[in-house]
Amino acid sequence: MVTDPNNPVLQIEDLSVAYVTNDGFVNAVNDINLTLYPGEIVGLVGESGSGKSTMANAIMRLLKGDAIVTKGRVKILGRDVYEMSEKQLRQFRWSKMSMVFQSAMSALNPVMTVETQILDTLTSHDKSMTKAQALERAKELMNLVRIDTKHLKSYPHELSGGMRQRVVIAIAIALNPSFVIMDEPTTALDVVVQRSILNEIRRIQEKVGFAILFVSHDFSLVAELASRVAIMYAGRVVEMTPSNTLSLMASEKHHPYTIGLLEAIPELTADEVIITGIPGNPPNLRTLPSGCAFHPRCPFAEEICTKERPVAVTVGPSDIECHLYSGKGMKQHV
Amino acid sequence: MSDANQPLLRVEDLVVRFPIAGRQYIRPVDGVSFAIAPGEVLSLVGESGSGKSTIGKALVRMVEPAGGTIEVNGQDVTHIRGRRIKDYRENVQMVFQDPFGSLNPVRTVEQHLAFPLRKHRMDKTVNVNAKIDELLEKVGLTPVADTRQKFPHELSGGQRQRVAIARALAVNPKFVVADEPISMLDVSIRAGILKLMNDLRADMNLAFLYITHDLASARYIGNRIMVLYGGKVMETAPSDELLRHPSHPYTRLLLAATPGSRHQGDLPETSNTAPNLVEGRRGCPFASRCPLVTSECHEVEPALTTLGDNHSVACHHPA
Repeated sequence: MVTDPNNPVLQIEDLSVAYVTNDGFVNAVNDINLTLYPGEIVGLVGESGSGKSTMANAIMRLLKGDAIVTKGRVKILGRDVYEMSEKQLRQFRWSKMSMVFQSAMSALNPVMTVETQILDTLTSHDKSMTKAQALERAKELMNLVRIDTKHLKSYPHELSGGMRQRVVIAIAIALNPSFVIMDEPTTALDVVVQRSILNEIRRIQEKVGFAILFVSHDFSLVAELASRVAIMYAGRVVEMTPSNTLSLMASEKHHPYTIGLLEAIPELTADEVIITGIPGNPPNLRTLPSGCAFHPRCPFAEEICTKERPVAVTVGPSDIECHLYSGKGMKQHV
Repeated sequence: MSDANQPLLRVEDLVVRFPIAGRQYIRPVDGVSFAIAPGEVLSLVGESGSGKSTIGKALVRMVEPAGGTIEVNGQDVTHIRGRRIKDYRENVQMVFQDPFGSLNPVRTVEQHLAFPLRKHRMDKTVNVNAKIDELLEKVGLTPVADTRQKFPHELSGGQRQRVAIARALAVNPKFVVADEPISMLDVSIRAGILKLMNDLRADMNLAFLYITHDLASARYIGNRIMVLYGGKVMETAPSDELLRHPSHPYTRLLLAATPGSRHQGDLPETSNTAPNLVEGRRGCPFASRCPLVTSECHEVEPALTTLGDNHSVACHHPA
């Protein structure tokens, strides 16, 4: 793949997505900026309702029903996804950007063989491809994700959960995209299978070189796989940080929410395990708290946090949206 | 309890079998033995299909064991029926994985708690209303007056799981089976539920069987961990001992695969085939995936042998 390492594969500028409801707009994603460079793996972590899946769907222009992009732009390889015609989009999607969905069972068609589904993907994007060529490529893909080619003739229900997810990954990378979104690709799998899929993703990514936006709620998993991690809360990226800072042992400064998440996970190998958790509950998007949406749950909250939404400032290697670092709060750099 | 050293719960050689096509049977639980003392937490760890939930269901007698015995307080409850089951469940309760499915959407929190209190009202003088307040207080759902009138859809996942726990506590049980109580909750909420379980254990001397697939939380909450595979116990040890000196190849694989473990690099390539649960199988259930497999493993089932310090392992080639 020929991509300039300095030209981003994905540029999100001030993106906002809202759901239209009877009570007006409910903002699920608020003014997000995010850039991905070629060959990079970026993690996107958040709790349910933080807007991470909405954002993933917005990037793919797959928003359905009542969700609309109210503001901002999504550029992939420099092209605005929302300015393409339906026809251009159909060509662009999957050949340049693709997506691995959470549930491998529902992402595959249960009444079609694996072969039919891979060939379908290949031939509908490249009409000049002969059936023999497509079959050759299908075999290549099966080898890449390490499934025996005899399973080309299998139906999804004949495969184990891990194999199904491998097939979904094979279909996602069939057309050599520059950019793949993986939306919780291992959540439904057992730990050992999850690990083998992650190793597989890393191996293929190193070989083929596409960029990945890896969406997950599992902090430790994302920290292992990605080089940078975006932490979402209530529709905003509250922190963007290199993944090696995400440990209680690391000394870098973090957003209070990130600290809370780090302290909420019992560490597997530490000598003494103390967990604290974050008080309260994730916010309701209909009644988002004023100012910084995290302030009702934040141990450092002060008056300014209830009034003004913090803007991102660079703190060490991270970009953090918090008044601890904005210079506007009374408490600073705790 | 007559004797302080007597375990609250003793399970010997538990077998559960289910019929499958072709007049055959599978054994999702096959010869499992363990004991739990009052106020103790045993973590049951295994992947889907390992039989961990089936053991939990057998303990609260939602399924009837095909073999072995379950004794609670010295009483055999393996095959009790009818009224005795109802009485038994005053001692043993269950919290389910999915707090969205385990609560009735058209009943308020108050109704959820009043039902077991009335059904199991041992002492007619107990004030149901006051007891509901006390339960909600205990699980941290305050202000109580507000929470009582709420329907499940008005609560977050963590709050719902607290209601489910309060409901289990309503009958003053001595033992609770918690089947993956945090796996459907958000990360920031999980710690709160784990801490609540820890507090209840300390305050009420409540014993738990904590069922999970996550070693980190199993270690946090459990005094002991029992690793299950294909319906059999692979290894059991005090939690810290198990994580520090894992002996069974499956335990080591599980440990290396868990995110956040110090193990880096590739795992030994093993097949992903599910274990054979059909009755009459031979050998070790993990043999088809084990990196250390020898011909002996396919023929002879390894017995659970003691390594010392309450640490036992069922493997022909323990580390």
